[in-house]
Amino acid sequence: MDKNTTSRRSFLKAGAIAATPLVAAAPVAALADDGSRARLARLEDERAIEALHRAFLRNADGARDRFALGEGLRSIAGEPATDTTITFAEDGRTATARQECRVERQTEFTGHSTLEQMARFQGQGSHVQEERRVLATQLVRDKQGWRIAQARLA
Amino acid sequence: MALQAYPDVPLFRYAYTPLTEAQILEKLAGPARVGPSSKAGLESDLAGTSLRIVTDGAGTLTWQFGSGNRVTFDGADAGYGALTVDHVTLIGHLVPGKAKGYAIAWDRHSNLATVFELWWGGEGPAPRPREINRAVWHGYVVADGPAPENRHKPTLRLEGRAFAWTEDTGKRTIEYYPSVTYSHWVELDRLKDYRGYSAPSDYIQLTEDIYAFARVEAEFSGLLHLYVMDVNRLQQAGLRLGFNGADELEYYMFRGKGEWLGQIARFEKFGDFSAEPLKIENAKKGERRIYRPLETMDKMTPAEVDAVVAEKTEVFSRASPMAGNGLPPTGNLAAKSFTVEYDRGPKMEYRFVSGDELQWRKDGAGEFRQARYNAWETVPNVFIFGHLLEGTRDHDGHIVVVDLDSGMASAFRGYLNTPYFANEAGAETLFGKVVGQGIPNPGRRRHQRTRDLLGRAFTWEYSPGLNSMHLYSTPYTTSWVIPTPDGHMGTEWCGSGDFIKIRDQLYFARWQEEACNGTLGTILINMRTMHDAGIGYHCGKQGGLSMSAVAGIARHAGKIDVERFFPVRTGA
Repeated sequence: MDKNTTSRRSFLKAGAIAATPLVAAAPVAALADDGSRARLARLEDERAIEALHRAFLRNADGARDRFALGEGLRSIAGEPATDTTITFAEDGRTATARQECRVERQTEFTGHSTLEQMARFQGQGSHVQEERRVLATQLVRDKQGWRIAQARLA
Repeated sequence: MALQAYPDVPLFRYAYTPLTEAQILEKLAGPARVGPSSKAGLESDLAGTSLRIVTDGAGTLTWQFGSGNRVTFDGADAGYGALTVDHVTLIGHLVPGKAKGYAIAWDRHSNLATVFELWWGGEGPAPRPREINRAVWHGYVVADGPAPENRHKPTLRLEGRAFAWTEDTGKRTIEYYPSVTYSHWVELDRLKDYRGYSAPSDYIQLTEDIYAFARVEAEFSGLLHLYVMDVNRLQQAGLRLGFNGADELEYYMFRGKGEWLGQIARFEKFGDFSAEPLKIENAKKGERRIYRPLETMDKMTPAEVDAVVAEKTEVFSRASPMAGNGLPPTGNLAAKSFTVEYDRGPKMEYRFVSGDELQWRKDGAGEFRQARYNAWETVPNVFIFGHLLEGTRDHDGHIVVVDLDSGMASAFRGYLNTPYFANEAGAETLFGKVVGQGIPNPGRRRHQRTRDLLGRAFTWEYSPGLNSMHLYSTPYTTSWVIPTPDGHMGTEWCGSGDFIKIRDQLYFARWQEEACNGTLGTILINMRTMHDAGIGYHCGKQGGLSMSAVAGIARHAGKIDVERFFPVRTGA
């Protein structure tokens, strides 16, 4: 399935190198047949998927709630200095995406073990832990556009 | 039971008299007038001195010292005692007519002072009148010149250290300071059984080498043991105040000599010298976090135990937060069969049907019975496994370590229906051999109890945020200390322990949470991998009878040199 892997940065970089002479040398109408339309469509797909990931990270409209992402999940934040790597299937109908992120989990110490009791007594009723993980999604495109079909924290 | 000043049962088994405030006042009346006794010559150079101490929090307090060890405080005339360590004087007295007293640590060079306000009952936070309350006030002695800006302060500088102190009374005590808020002490003379106990404690730094220390034997006698110690010169001067097990007032000052026994690691970040990790915001006077395990422990009758066991028994049925960092169980016992023959104990026949089901038969009687088990192989061919013995009168659980290379086996037999609380786990240590095809016969060789762990401390990271430190303080005591998220060691408690050497750097250890949640904890400590595998055996109202995994990743926090203080017992 993995045929065309890009990150936004690498795609724009490659696209810019290829496109710049054309933009400089050819009228706009001439772009129709030189692959620019496909590249534009790809950019739109990428932006749509990135937007889905952003919504997923924010849990907008319960975007994460359909997926088993482990106990005590508090938040997921994308690593700002990294790109989302998106790989499209040849037919362009499915894709996978990977995004480095920081995951915060909270564990509640509700048990009856002596250690948990003593931790609670010390005011440590829960513990928040941050992990560096990769949000790995599988996406499909249907009539409504792209949606996340599967998600996991790798 | 006849009253005993120092009981011959563990302190957590002794029924201390619930003294009333009126009884306490009556017992204090005479000694308050006379002042503390002392084998050391009490000092008299304060005669004619007026000590005005400005405190942060308790206002200005004034003591007028007269001759003959008399002091006037708050309009009352009392006897006092004073002893000086280098240039720091410890003063102690009671206030006649009140269930109250003071201890003052006065640095004569800097004029800084720390005042311990001490009282019984009243509005104090202690739940029982016999348990002494203390509030610690820092300040300075009014003198010519500007008021000092510095203050004595709580410290973590002593955390991890241990000393052996010998008082001029002849009493010897090992004092472990494994926490910033608790201490652990072993009475070598007052008590007979060489157990350690834990208590809330204050650690105050007075100078680079002089500290004030105070512990209150909360949950037990309620006594205060307070001293100023010079850790360089290894000298102490102290005050012992409170009611012993015979309800006799102990009110004396002492000098002592110390022996440095070592230090285990501290785990705060470098540069973090904060020393009030468990501070209570807006605390009432004298309030602090004192772990009171008996209050929260389920206390069940044998009938209640039988009922809850019948209703709910869980054996390795779910993930345990006490083993979040544990190794996965092994299936390597599956299809094996062997018999463990314990010396002066049962003969246990085992058929391991799968990775988590076994069949057992005890002493060849009756049919084999099915039981769920888990096993871990932390060293090749050494297994720890545990299972319940359904149908036994005391709901036994066996936690067994078998070394299939040597043919030796050891077990901790957990059982319920102990005399104090039926749901509290008792434990018996068994030694024996494994008999089976291809397993060597060890003859008379057996695993042995060991002192290799004595004085050692290990931290255990069980799950994210769920950590503790074990301190194996005596040959018969396991203590545990709970760290805060920033690495300060906080509250501490302890129970009976037993320690068996399986192989070099491989130890089978247990602790019993007596009068404290009732769990029997067992672990096989691998000091080469610094990981353990273990099993907890517990009965409570909510969880019923359970057997669950206990395992963490270890750090060796160090070893305190204490072995010479514990005579070797025959058979121990």
